[in-house]
Amino acid sequence: MIPVRERLAAGVWHVFVLGVILFLLTPLVLVVLFAFAANQIQAFPLEGLTLKWFAALADWSAFWVALENSAIITGSVGIFATAIGTAAALALSRMRVRRAGLLMTLLSLPVTIPPLVTGLALLASYAVLRLKLGVQTVIPSHLVFTQPFVILIVYARMASFDHSLLDAARDMGASRWYAFRTVTLPIAGPSIIGAALIAMAVSLDDFVITYFTIGGGNTLPTLIWSMLRKSLSPSVNAIGTLVLLFTIGSSVVALRISKYRG
Amino acid sequence: MFGVFFVLPMLYLVVMSFWRLRLYRLEPAFIIKNYALTIADYGESILFTIALAFVVGSLTTLLAYGFAFALRFRSGRWGDAYLFITLVTLFGGYLVKIYAWKTILGNGGILNTGLMTLGLIDEPITWFLFSPVAVVITLIHFLLPFAVLPIYGALRNVDPRHLEAARDLGARPRRVFRDIVLPQTQAGLVAAFTLAFLYSAGDYVTPRLVGGPNIQMVGTFIESQFVQRLNMPQGAAMAITTMAACVLFLLLMVAALRATLRQR
Repeated sequence: MIPVRERLAAGVWHVFVLGVILFLLTPLVLVVLFAFAANQIQAFPLEGLTLKWFAALADWSAFWVALENSAIITGSVGIFATAIGTAAALALSRMRVRRAGLLMTLLSLPVTIPPLVTGLALLASYAVLRLKLGVQTVIPSHLVFTQPFVILIVYARMASFDHSLLDAARDMGASRWYAFRTVTLPIAGPSIIGAALIAMAVSLDDFVITYFTIGGGNTLPTLIWSMLRKSLSPSVNAIGTLVLLFTIGSSVVALRISKYRG
Repeated sequence: MFGVFFVLPMLYLVVMSFWRLRLYRLEPAFIIKNYALTIADYGESILFTIALAFVVGSLTTLLAYGFAFALRFRSGRWGDAYLFITLVTLFGGYLVKIYAWKTILGNGGILNTGLMTLGLIDEPITWFLFSPVAVVITLIHFLLPFAVLPIYGALRNVDPRHLEAARDLGARPRRVFRDIVLPQTQAGLVAAFTLAFLYSAGDYVTPRLVGGPNIQMVGTFIESQFVQRLNMPQGAAMAITTMAACVLFLLLMVAALRATLRQR
C-alpha cells in the first residue's frame, strides 16, 4: 500500500471516531449549556448566563420531595446492591469459569429484558400481594437491575484473585471475617466502591421501573417526565444537569478507581 | 433476591396473561382471548415495532462496530480516552437524552436553525421531529455506548499480530476482516444487536416523547393497557407476545449470521 493512501485511511477513521464522539456528547453538552442560559426557548444565540432556572427549582417544593426520594432510593440501592452483588461475585469467583459464566448470563437477564416488561411484572406482583406502592417497593425493584452491574464489575476483579491467599490466612488462624477484611477487601475494595457508584448512577437515572413501582410519589426522573408532558420550562435543563452531574461524576470516579474497561 | 423480585414476577406475568377481567377485578382463569385479541388488534403494531427495532439494532451495531474497531486498532494512545468518554455517556440521563433530542430536532431546534443559517435549507424540515426518524436517532444515541462495550470487549481479544501475519501473507484488508476479525467478534456482535434490538422493541418513552401521534409502537399500547385501561391480563398478553416475537426474530437473525459466516 502506498503511504498516501494509508494516511488518507487513517484520516477517514479519525474523522469517523470524532464524529461519533460528537454525536454522543452534543445533546448532553446542550442540556448543560441551556441550564445556564437566559433563553426561554432553546435556540442559539445565547442570551447571557443565569442561575435563575436553578433558583426556580430551589423554590419549588415538589423538587425537594423528589430529591429526597431519589436520595433515599439511590442510597439504599447503593448499600444493598453492593452487599448482595459482592457476595454473589465472590461466590461465583470460586466456581469453575464455565459455570460462573452461565450463571452470570442468567443473572444479567434483567438488564437485557426491556424495563417496560420488568416494571409491569413487578407492578402486577405488588398489586396481587396488595403491597402499598412507594419508596419501599422501588428499592427492591431497583436491586433487580443494578445487581448485575455490581456482580460483573467485582467478578472481573476477582477472576484474577488468588484464592490460596485466603486459605493461607485461614490456616494461620484468621477468622472468616478477618480474612475477608484483611485479604479480600484491600484487593477488591476499589472495584467494590466503583461497582457501588455505578449501581447508584443506574438507579438514580432509572425512569421506567420507578414509574411503575412508585405509585403516586416522584423521584427526579419521574418529576422530569411530568415536566416534559406539560410545558417545556428550561428548569428541566437544570434538573437534567443535576442528574447528569451525579451520574456522570460518579461513573467517572468509579471507572477511574475500579479501572474497569468493558 | 433475583428469584423473588425477578423470576416470580415474570412467572406471574405469564400466568396472569391467561386470566380474565370481570368488573375491574382479576379473575384466575385459562382463556386465550387476550392473545387472540393481541394478534388481531395489535399484530400490525408488533410487526412495525420489530421492523423499527431491527433498523435501530442494525444501525447501532454497525456504528458501534466501526467505532469499537477504530478505538481498538486505529486510534493509538487516544483509544483509551475515547473509550472512557463512551463509558461515561453510558450512565445517566435517559430522559435527559430524549428531551435533548426533542429540542435539537424541533422546527425551531438547533439542527433546523443551524441548517437555515448555513443556507442549506430555506424553511425548517418538519419530519425531523415527531416521526420514526426522530425515534431511530434518539434510540441509536442512547444505545450506542451499550453496543460499543461488548464489541470492544470481543475486539480486545483479537491479536493485532495475527492481522499483520495475514497481511504479510498477502491477504487483502477485506479478507483479513472477514476471516480473522469477524469470526472472533461474533459473540460481541450478537450481544450488541440483541441488547439494542430488545431495548428498542420494549421502549415506550422515546416514541411517546419524540415519535408523534402516528407512530404505532407496541410499548405505548402495553403501557396504556396497564396504566389507563387497567386491563392487566391484556397488557401482559401483549407484552409476552411481543417478547416471544422478538426472541423468534433474534434466533432467525443469529442463524442467518452464522450461515453467512460459515460460507466461504
